[in-house]
Amino acid sequence: MDRRTFLGITAATAVMPKRLLQMNGYPLNLETPLELLTDYLTPNDLFFVRSHWIPRMPDLKTWRLTVDGEVKKPLKLSLADLKKMPLAETTCVLQCAGNGRGLQNPPMPGVQWRYGAVGNALWRGVRVKDVLDRAGVNAGAAHLHTFGSDDPPGKVPPFQRSIEMEKSLDDCILAWEMNGVPLPPQHGAPLRLIVPGWAGDHWMKWLVRLSPQKAPQSGFYMDTAYRWPLNPGAPGVAFKPEEMKPLTELAVKSNITTAPKAVTMRGIYDIRGFAFSGAPDIAKVEISDDNGATWKAAQLDARHSPHAWRLWHYRWTPAKPGRATLLARATDSRGATQPRETVWNQSGYLFNGWHSVDIEVKA
Amino acid sequence: MTWLLLAILAALPMPGTQFKQLPDSKGKAEIEHACYTCHSPDLLAQQRLTPKQWTATVEKMMRWGAELKESDKQVAIDYLSRHFGPENRFTPTATTPMK
Ligand code: HEC
Repeated sequence: MDRRTFLGITAATAVMPKRLLQMNGYPLNLETPLELLTDYLTPNDLFFVRSHWIPRMPDLKTWRLTVDGEVKKPLKLSLADLKKMPLAETTCVLQCAGNGRGLQNPPMPGVQWRYGAVGNALWRGVRVKDVLDRAGVNAGAAHLHTFGSDDPPGKVPPFQRSIEMEKSLDDCILAWEMNGVPLPPQHGAPLRLIVPGWAGDHWMKWLVRLSPQKAPQSGFYMDTAYRWPLNPGAPGVAFKPEEMKPLTELAVKSNITTAPKAVTMRGIYDIRGFAFSGAPDIAKVEISDDNGATWKAAQLDARHSPHAWRLWHYRWTPAKPGRATLLARATDSRGATQPRETVWNQSGYLFNGWHSVDIEVKA
Repeated sequence: MTWLLLAILAALPMPGTQFKQLPDSKGKAEIEHACYTCHSPDLLAQQRLTPKQWTATVEKMMRWGAELKESDKQVAIDYLSRHFGPENRFTPTATTPMK
């Protein structure tokens, strides 16, 4: 490599070094810059990090997953025990329930995520069903209570959750691997619950206990937080917890990751992005450069598995000089289409309004 | 030139090692004492809240264990409302990728 190329490369990386955006230094909350979310599998070192509290890293020799509650045979399983069971894997999107909160108006308290509390990864481990079958779940146990090892101070409510047994048996995984390497500590090592199609609050990290029960878990993070209005109101309206239900599936959404800032009338330009939903697949992504009056289909990438995102690209020809605004909207495999405006809710969950980019078109 | 650019690259902090500094004004000391035990100042500096929302948030944090005297509560709420109101703009610290 000659000196000029070297300087050129250095300059380019210095202008745009790979980086994460720190939303909270402790407990760690890190956002991925949107323009870096261009891979089908988001690299682990760029994957967003969401923590409610600082975990205690266990000694793997003594670490056990406890399975108790409504079961015939309570279990304590080591990682080696789990690894002897049939391997399961899935590639799917993980999105924080609050991704996009920083774009909501009027604003509300919470981590002010913008675009990048989302990523797509290959998760490998065992099926929750296989583990629960070994313990033998009693009839009538309808909720799987999940517990991590992060143990908050003072009177801070612990982050404890439950999910419907039906969902956990359907396609949930206990993962010890992320994108082919052992699960990194900030992503929940040694074991994390994978809940395809559902928001990140269900994906318990630093998992230590599973407990089937008749009733759902109670506590702040079930009864007050992570709830969605039964009948959403106008922006600014606050509902009581009983007027809301636990938030589950992701909302259909697409983002533009790659677009030029300035172009000329003589070119065709590459626009790229990703799209996902709580439904297993994306049916189409469309682009508009006339404020949503007309839409043209983007090309979907072939790579996919249920609840993974779809990368897409679009070849755009500018229609006239001046400032162009490109919009992207996705439609999922169940026919739900991304709305122009997101559904405002008091905690700012599941932002999915149309994403736009502005491009300067020179004659 | 090259060295300068490399120095810029190397200057990205590791996640969780550098935090936003809160602006100096009345109430900062009370905030530092009451809030830094459980989260870094970044979490405060990114909020865009009305005085009413800040009051509810500070009261929630006091219930959860924030060490703030009842007599210092208003000073803290005023500080947060003055600096981190609805018009607040926040640029997160850029950190290195996380191995
Ligand atoms: C005893 C620990 C503790 C102390 C002390 C504390 N907080 Fe918090 N704070 C938390 C926890 C836990 C959360 C929720 C974190 C999460 O879910 O990500 C939180 C969240 C927040 C949020 C985000 C909004 C929300 O409600 O989730 C703000 C803003 C905040 N705290 C402000 C403050 C301020 C201001 C102080 C000082 C007066 C303070 N905190 C002191 C534990 C604490």
